[in-house]
Amino acid sequence: MKKTGKFRPDKVAIGFIAPAFLFYTLFIIVPTLSSVYYSFTSWDGISPTIRFVGLANYKEIFTSARFGNALKNTVILTLFISILENAFALGLALIVDHVRWMKNLFRSAFYIPVLISGIVSGFIWKIMYNYNFGAINSILSGVGLEGWKQDWLGNTALTLIMVGVVLVWKGAGYYMIIYLASLQSVSTDIIEAAEIDGATPIQKFKSITLPLISGAFTINFTLSLINGLKVFDQISVMTDGGPGFTTETLVYLLYKVGFNEGRQGFGTAVGIVLLFIIIILNTLQQKFLRSREVQL
Amino acid sequence: MEKAQRKVKSSDFVLLAVTVVLAILFLYPVLFALMSAFKSNGDILKSPVSFPTTLYIQNFKDLFAQSDFGTAILHSIFLTVVSEVLIVCIVPMAAYGIERRKSRMTGFIYTFFLEGMMIPFHLYMFPLFKQMKTFHLFGNMAGPIVCYIAGSIAFGTLLYSSFLKGVPLEIEEAAQIDGCTPFQTFWKVTFPLLGPCTGSMVILNGLGIWNDYLMPYLVMPSGKAKTITVEIASFVGQYTARWDIVFAGTVISIIPALAIFCMFQKYFVKGITAGAAKG
Repeated sequence: MKKTGKFRPDKVAIGFIAPAFLFYTLFIIVPTLSSVYYSFTSWDGISPTIRFVGLANYKEIFTSARFGNALKNTVILTLFISILENAFALGLALIVDHVRWMKNLFRSAFYIPVLISGIVSGFIWKIMYNYNFGAINSILSGVGLEGWKQDWLGNTALTLIMVGVVLVWKGAGYYMIIYLASLQSVSTDIIEAAEIDGATPIQKFKSITLPLISGAFTINFTLSLINGLKVFDQISVMTDGGPGFTTETLVYLLYKVGFNEGRQGFGTAVGIVLLFIIIILNTLQQKFLRSREVQL
Repeated sequence: MEKAQRKVKSSDFVLLAVTVVLAILFLYPVLFALMSAFKSNGDILKSPVSFPTTLYIQNFKDLFAQSDFGTAILHSIFLTVVSEVLIVCIVPMAAYGIERRKSRMTGFIYTFFLEGMMIPFHLYMFPLFKQMKTFHLFGNMAGPIVCYIAGSIAFGTLLYSSFLKGVPLEIEEAAQIDGCTPFQTFWKVTFPLLGPCTGSMVILNGLGIWNDYLMPYLVMPSGKAKTITVEIASFVGQYTARWDIVFAGTVISIIPALAIFCMFQKYFVKGITAGAAKG
């Protein structure tokens, strides 16, 4: 009994945690670890023999033009989404926080697009973008802006951005909720004190609101970057990566080479690169958050 | 001080007008889908922005007559409900074990679980499917369910752990003195107190399952109806000329999510903010 028994397992804790641990390990961790292995093979997803090819997949990744194009598309799309989503989300949060009537109703209105599935939102916008029968061109001719009419998804200079618009529309409401919560955590005492000291609205925003929502900004920006990297459903239903390869992102490339071209080994290698990008973004977020906490 | 009841200024009306315009812009695509679902295909093509003139429900009749959409609806409901029931049986218990039985082991497991939020599904899907085939979880409904459970653990544990910190220990201690086992203490005493947290998790997570596409598309048996989202995606390719039918499907997909949101709004807000504060 004297022995402190550091290694005596806590049976109660194990009993409580075991089911979750098993599901999580079996269906996320084990396949993730096997991905690392498959990324060094030329596995096609069907044949039972799996050939080890060393670094060949990674070599191909860093030399192939298709990967370079997918990486470029991913960076453009992700930055476009993250910047606009946060700008809209913060703007909407400020508006909902300041509007005098029906705050909850407006908050709900801006959140509703979040509820819609990626596939459905992609379909709705695909139809709205349609050249001959779409709502957007029809509204443009209605207000006399015939010249602005476009084949929104067919014009290769625009397609990627047009897909991004759908994601910003669908995502902004989610981040708005987080900004709104941090705005509402700003105590009225501080604001009143500033008002007594004669601070202008702009000064109040710069010196009180902005520093207090900077934590929310770091979290939201990272979240939106990571979610932007994972976009799949809208691309699948709106453009299927096209026209050509103009909307093929890393995730879409991974899917296409894996399922349509029977190159799952190469696909998983692309996935590993994606995971590295996400880990780097997360680490940066942690660093930023920590340095902010020191300042506050 | 002019606190809650400050005077109505003209700037209040300007802001209100701006907000209304923005809200209409944000809701327009949803409204567009709703309107189109009640218009004939000819009307959708001819005048995309006009309102439906009559209550036209032929699209819904065609949808069910020409496809197996009814089965798809049942599949979506089944996947969402069964997964959520199992998740509620598993995740809060794990968080309780981690939070109330603090040790180096549970601390490690907590970090281990949270790391899962970073791993994108697309990275491990190929090996996952291979593994599911060996476990006979491929080509049936059990496959997506076990994956949804696994996928819920990271966010669920985070949510419940942060919530458990606010639940006083005294009640649990009293229960234990009265002779409850830890298992009984959790399910009879603590779990009922976690209602709002359970609400938030079930709603946010359930919405994700309801709207999920890739998993059921790839895992469920091919050649048959899968889920609502998968059916809609396949219509887009199949019925390129029958937008009316697809719009009817999208409305059926949106309505339940909208209804749940209207009923349980505060759970959405709570879940999102709690997740972000800790994430």
